[in-house]
Amino acid sequence: MSATVFHAEVGVSDEKQAAAKSARRRFGALVVRLGAIAAFAAIMAYFVIFAPGFTSTFNLINVVEQSAILGVLAYGMTAVIIGGGSNVTEGGIDLSIAANMGLCAAVYATLLSMGYGDFLSVIAAIAVGMAVGALNAVAVVGLGILPLLATLAVLNVAAGMELTLTQNTVVGASSPLLGLLVSGSFLGISALAWALIVFSAIMIVVVHGTSFGLRLYAVGGHPEAARAAGISVPFYVSFTYVLSGFCAAVASILTVSRLSASTPGSGELLLSVLAAALLGTVFSRRFVPTMGGTLLSVLFIGLLANGFQLLNVSSYWVNGVQGALILLVVAITSFARGSEGSR
Amino acid sequence: MQTAKRDIAVSMTGISKRFGPVRALENANLEIARGSILGLVGQNGAGKSTIIKVLAGIIKPDSGSIVINGEAVTSLTPASVEKLGVHFIHQDRLLVPTATVGEAVFLGHEIGLGPFVSRRVMERRAADLLKRFFGMELPAGTLVKDLTTAQQKVVQITRALAQKASVLVLDEPTAALVKREVDSLFDVLRRLRDDGIAVVFISHYMQEIEKLCDRVTVMRNGTDVGTVDPRQTPIDEIIAMMIARDVGEMFPKRSVELGAPVLEVSNLRLGGSFENIGFNIRAGEIVGLTGLLGSGAKEIVQCLFGLKTADGGEVKVEGRELSLSTPVKAVRDGIAMLPEDRRAHGVALGLSVRENISLASLRRYSRSGMVSRGAENQAVDGLIKELSIKTPHRDALVRELSGGNQQKVAIAKWLSCQSRVYVLDEPTVAVDVGAKVEIYNLLNRLAGEGAAILLLSSDLLELVGVCDRVLVVYRGRLAGSFSGPAMNSDALLAASSGARSNIDGVAA
Repeated sequence: MSATVFHAEVGVSDEKQAAAKSARRRFGALVVRLGAIAAFAAIMAYFVIFAPGFTSTFNLINVVEQSAILGVLAYGMTAVIIGGGSNVTEGGIDLSIAANMGLCAAVYATLLSMGYGDFLSVIAAIAVGMAVGALNAVAVVGLGILPLLATLAVLNVAAGMELTLTQNTVVGASSPLLGLLVSGSFLGISALAWALIVFSAIMIVVVHGTSFGLRLYAVGGHPEAARAAGISVPFYVSFTYVLSGFCAAVASILTVSRLSASTPGSGELLLSVLAAALLGTVFSRRFVPTMGGTLLSVLFIGLLANGFQLLNVSSYWVNGVQGALILLVVAITSFARGSEGSR
Repeated sequence: MQTAKRDIAVSMTGISKRFGPVRALENANLEIARGSILGLVGQNGAGKSTIIKVLAGIIKPDSGSIVINGEAVTSLTPASVEKLGVHFIHQDRLLVPTATVGEAVFLGHEIGLGPFVSRRVMERRAADLLKRFFGMELPAGTLVKDLTTAQQKVVQITRALAQKASVLVLDEPTAALVKREVDSLFDVLRRLRDDGIAVVFISHYMQEIEKLCDRVTVMRNGTDVGTVDPRQTPIDEIIAMMIARDVGEMFPKRSVELGAPVLEVSNLRLGGSFENIGFNIRAGEIVGLTGLLGSGAKEIVQCLFGLKTADGGEVKVEGRELSLSTPVKAVRDGIAMLPEDRRAHGVALGLSVRENISLASLRRYSRSGMVSRGAENQAVDGLIKELSIKTPHRDALVRELSGGNQQKVAIAKWLSCQSRVYVLDEPTVAVDVGAKVEIYNLLNRLAGEGAAILLLSSDLLELVGVCDRVLVVYRGRLAGSFSGPAMNSDALLAASSGARSNIDGVAA
């Protein structure tokens, strides 16, 4: 029976090791999560104490409004990262999302200025956004190009088309819908803030409450397992890119309303969008991007920019801080996930 | 015939499948009856996995027919097979690491209202199933990545059970389980059988087959060679069915005087893979190493290569102790290695035959940093001729050669460094018979020149034919050492499947 004895011995030590390993990993993950939350809290506390007017209702509502555009874009990015997996090099990412928003804004503002009504212009902007998303999907899913490269290429396509359309000028726009978004309010909350609230609610319910969302996580977490469970991986991945394009179009309408125009330079938002989507993972016990985590990160980034303004720190610093945050989050999550790969 | 009355769930007839020149299945048949447990056994490469993948809809067969629950099915896909109630527990744990147990069990068949899911219900149901079938209690919401290997296996089986499987195929399900878990798995499978489910149990462990299965189908060389009752058929007889008897004159004979020990390995261990491995190989000796998938034999060789770092132990070459942490050091220390995946580690496909051969020994042809092309060409041409490598010229790209010739280039690379120790990992896999014989001749020649050779192989006939001695690894330990008349494929297979052991014969 010596054979059976080996069986048990090797197995037991393996089990113990695995248990110890997973306990260590859980502890490490907890430390990272609590550390991140503590750092956020410390920064907020600093602003509360030292930034004049930081806690005023007016200021906070202002931050939420400012965050609406970033939030809508970050949800698109988050969906792409969920469905493509959060592997930094091969996973899902949509670098074209901000440029796509710029293109949609240009289409929307140009059509409005040419006299087409809100209805047609909005439809056209959304169609263009989703078409750019579909182009990403074709490149990533159809042609099998790394998302990092594919969406980088599409970024340039979208940016080029925007420049062609606007000749790099500001295209002024006004319409009933834009007027409503700018000055409308309900229950004392402005239309822009409502846009963020409603969009957030929809995203959170769809991604975290439905079987669709569960399968999306499975597709990103372990495509083989998803396939074995009868889930069409290409469909889900393609969907995220098209959704991301849709988010870009919705954000474009919000941005046109805020600036009463389509303006060049929307691409600069990309860094913030990426920071928000990646930062959100530290709020998740599974270290995956979540819609709730993204919302918190969006508000954090908004408050950070706002606090810097109130403290009279140059807004250029915000970019640097965001870049550093991305590096930090990617480094920490890669480290925390490290042991998974070797199993 | 009792068979005629049996309630057949799945019947596969005349299945053939080729992968390029390799014949994976040739007119193979498999019949799975309801309310019984069918064992499926065969050596590595006998076609077990292939026929199961055909049933799973992963591989399309070239010919043959499949009938599931009385219905002839033509084109199977993984999804359509599951709809027919046939579920597979694959060897690799196909679970999403970031999902909770509840999510993993019901993925693809979520519980909820319309498009909405109820994680609480899924987690509770999953916990109920785990408790009912396995007596296992997991905190609700545990993540898959925090489970042990065994727990993940159990979750996978629960997945199939949750979907009311009528046929359950388990591929080596016990490989990662401890004894207690194996026993409880067997209880579960028996209970499922009594409920009328057809169970297919693929295992290398003969004891498990004997203990669990009602019938066992034996596969060899891509076809089924018989189906027997394991309780009435001695294990030895089943093993005999697994091994072909027609051994040709493939293995050249030789006689060499053995010299002093060249490679000495003692107390080598790697957590989770193997422990307490010790053996010596003398000058001129060819020693075989074998074991089933997951036994640790492969990892031992990988540690010698430096592809994996052993947790402890000692490796000496000609009395000098080595630190084997990287392949570079292994090369410098005089160990020549021939990895199994020659595309990944053995040869550079994009380089020429000449460059590949002289890669490991450039220093020998160099003078003050410059490669002496003349000396290099001479050595390379000599080796091409000696090994009869079929290449148009020495500057042809290795990519353009056949598999066997690529393998010979990989060997030539090491010949040119004149190592004292050769470690080869499955050197004849996917190589045609002619090239095999040439490789065997080469091994003999190297041994004749006083090299010590360790040959990892799962081809038992090859081991018996080529080696002076064969070491068998079973579940992470040396389970036997065979030489002379005791070294025959029956004994090797018996030892590697744990049916028999020969521990006294292990050289310390």
